[in-house]
Amino acid sequence: MTQVEMRIPSDLIFERVVRAAAEEIGRQMGFSSEKVADLTLAVSEAVTNAIEHGNRLQRDIDVGITFRMGADYLEVRVVDKGQRDRPLEIRRRGITEEAIEHGELRGLGLYLIHQLVDRVEFSSDEEGNAFTMWLHINPGNGQSRREDQ
Amino acid sequence: MIQMEDRGNIAIVHIQTPSIDAVSAREIEEFCGRSRKTTVLDFAEVAFINSAGISGLLKFIVAARKRGHVVYAINVSPHHRKIFKMVELSRFMPILEAQELAQLQ
Repeated sequence: MTQVEMRIPSDLIFERVVRAAAEEIGRQMGFSSEKVADLTLAVSEAVTNAIEHGNRLQRDIDVGITFRMGADYLEVRVVDKGQRDRPLEIRRRGITEEAIEHGELRGLGLYLIHQLVDRVEFSSDEEGNAFTMWLHINPGNGQSRREDQ
Repeated sequence: MIQMEDRGNIAIVHIQTPSIDAVSAREIEEFCGRSRKTTVLDFAEVAFINSAGISGLLKFIVAARKRGHVVYAINVSPHHRKIFKMVELSRFMPILEAQELAQLQ
């Protein structure tokens, strides 16, 4: 299986580098332009979460990103060194008057990821956190995806 | 990165960056408080927006609303229309078509 690995400092400017890689990989795999846009956004959100909530913007701590290209799916794994005893939760599913009233203008990233990819998985141990997501070229072809994995 | 153009009763804010993210959102936030009664954000040059970028846009919209101003969006790509609808940003920043913008002026 073809695999691309990246490591970036926990600085939000480098999220752009990962995003560019995701876009190119998605294109090379034959995803539609809309699916490439979905992939790029989901990767951006996952990497931003790892930088901000996992490594807490400590520039000297890396975020690791692995793209694994299957026959008809892409797996993206984002690893940080944060200490979490449970996964991040979806804080909100859209912008509401109430959220605006309380000045809560962030927290949509995880919701977007869940909307844009086919599957997500979170794991955590003493080494840190791993957030993995899968996108399929043909989302209806679930059986063959699992066999590939 | 941001250029404001006055067109009679309305102001068009041209966002001149391909990416509205955590880094560039700060520049949009710095623009809060410079809205006009009717302000239109032009996304013609924007290729990417993430949730940190949406948060920056929202701060601009909230600041405008506090001043009694209305914010619209133009030249929004189909992908960003989908995302705006997904997070319900369109409720707070309706998307205008070209002919609707002409009617506003």
